[in-house]
Amino acid sequence: MIKGKCWVASDYVMAYDIIIQQFWTSPIDPLLNSEWVMAGVEESFNKENGFKNEGYTFIIAAHNFAGGGKSIEHVIAGLMGAGIKAVFADSFARLQFRNAINYGLPFVTCTDIAQGCETGDEIEYDPDSGLIKNISKGTTFQSVPAAPFVAEVGKAGGLMNYVRDKISNGEAIG
Amino acid sequence: MTITEKIMAKQSGREKVAPGELVWVDVHTVMTMDYLGKTCFDKFNSLGKTEVFDKDRVICVSDHLVPPPNQKFATMLNEWRAVVKKHDITHFYDLGRQGIAHQIMVEQGHVLPGTISIGTDSHANTYGAAGAVGNAVGVTDAAVAMATGKAWFRVPESVRFNIVGEWQPYIMAKDLSLHIMGMMHWNGHLIYKTLEFTGPAISSLSMAGRMTLCNMTVDLGAKNGIIAPDHITADYLDGVAKGDWDMIQSDEEAKYVAEYTINVSDLGPTVALPDKLDDTVPVENVIGTKFNKAFVGTCTNGRLEDLAIMADIMKDKQIHRDVNMIVVPASQTVYLDALRAGYLETLILAGAAIDTPSCAACAGIHTGVAGDGDIVLSAGNRNMKGRMGSKNAQIYLTSPAVVAASAIRGEITDPRTFN
Repeated sequence: MIKGKCWVASDYVMAYDIIIQQFWTSPIDPLLNSEWVMAGVEESFNKENGFKNEGYTFIIAAHNFAGGGKSIEHVIAGLMGAGIKAVFADSFARLQFRNAINYGLPFVTCTDIAQGCETGDEIEYDPDSGLIKNISKGTTFQSVPAAPFVAEVGKAGGLMNYVRDKISNGEAIG
Repeated sequence: MTITEKIMAKQSGREKVAPGELVWVDVHTVMTMDYLGKTCFDKFNSLGKTEVFDKDRVICVSDHLVPPPNQKFATMLNEWRAVVKKHDITHFYDLGRQGIAHQIMVEQGHVLPGTISIGTDSHANTYGAAGAVGNAVGVTDAAVAMATGKAWFRVPESVRFNIVGEWQPYIMAKDLSLHIMGMMHWNGHLIYKTLEFTGPAISSLSMAGRMTLCNMTVDLGAKNGIIAPDHITADYLDGVAKGDWDMIQSDEEAKYVAEYTINVSDLGPTVALPDKLDDTVPVENVIGTKFNKAFVGTCTNGRLEDLAIMADIMKDKQIHRDVNMIVVPASQTVYLDALRAGYLETLILAGAAIDTPSCAACAGIHTGVAGDGDIVLSAGNRNMKGRMGSKNAQIYLTSPAVVAASAIRGEITDPRTFN
């Protein structure tokens, strides 16, 4: 069970704005990438640790979260470094959806959740059942549970760990 | 099964696959490039591996940072070169032999019909032009593939775009791409889907056009875009292909979750307005719009055919005094071919600046970036605020033909009525 407060985003939060251009060539590092994460999304986040200092645990978004077609993993590393434990949205852009799976950060599909929550609401998420409770509002949402492979990779702490274990155990992949 | 399903079945050693299934597939090639490549190799090493799965099938390209405009990039490039050398990679397209990675992958025969190639840059969707599944991934997937030769995929649902009619003069694949962008919007309809382009106007489309079309499918949110291989594909690959290929085609009874028909006979030059790719209009709506920078290049529109149509339009004319134009061929091969064909001479005489092949200003980190107040007319692929540099610049996207005609007039112009 994960608990914490949420930040509610609008439609089309783009990967470009989560990690702004000047940091695309930075190393991929949660601590480093989280300093300026979300800098392009809202003016109030456009300062060092601007988003991170808000102490959000969840992001709730609508369509095409992290879209705009960047494959850089700085986006996921930055969100994780800022303390984000799960993102709930109507839909996710596929490149960052894939990266999130590979990093073990739950990107959880949950229709209509964006309409039912406000920034600052206390949220409780059960990754096993997929239930999301908005404690502040007294509402509950059922998300789409993770596919078995995704859950397995998540449990291993990401694809790198998952594959490293397979390689060191001499197990076949796939 | 559709072509993408058949390729995924073949490369995962199965008789059949269905949309939604998760499969580990054999990848034919893995591409990585200068600014992410070192991280990729570091991650690969952290898996406990020192030798890549096949030295001939990990393709390394310098494209985003070359030639280095500052010390940071120069140092990154040196680290990149060291790591490529250390791993004894056969195909390293470094400065002097460079090009934009996606152009290199297809042009040099590293992408083959019936196979799967991945790359650590979002426009790896370009590879679908060769009848391959081409997919953009992060460095983690690339590192895993470098170690194992494999990648995981969820088999996507297929959407078919049946393209009919005849291509009209000065109408390019880019116009079709932008038209589809406007038609489908960024509303999530095509997220995770494979887009298959079929029909008579695809059969008559050149490889350059097919690459443009597949390239921009990533910007529609799709997993991949693909065109079944035919004699045009085979002719193009003949002599350059590095490996065997399989001319896999969709079955007659293949299932599509949606089908759309577009008649290119009715298609006009198309422009995406600043900030949103799906905010597209026919050129008529923006005729006369002033701009001060013109840019043609990128993995979308930096090919020989693009430079040829520009030379045709700009021959014996002068670029408007209020416009600065930069043209960047997509690879050294394109550069040399355009030089020999006289296209570059025509463009230089018209007043265009030619730069060495690279991603250039497309990603806003290199040659010719946009500053405050710039209005850019670009044949690139993205127009979000800040994409080419300043957030206070505006980017219009369109075809090389529109950019060429407009650069002469100093305002957005319809190339069909230019003369």
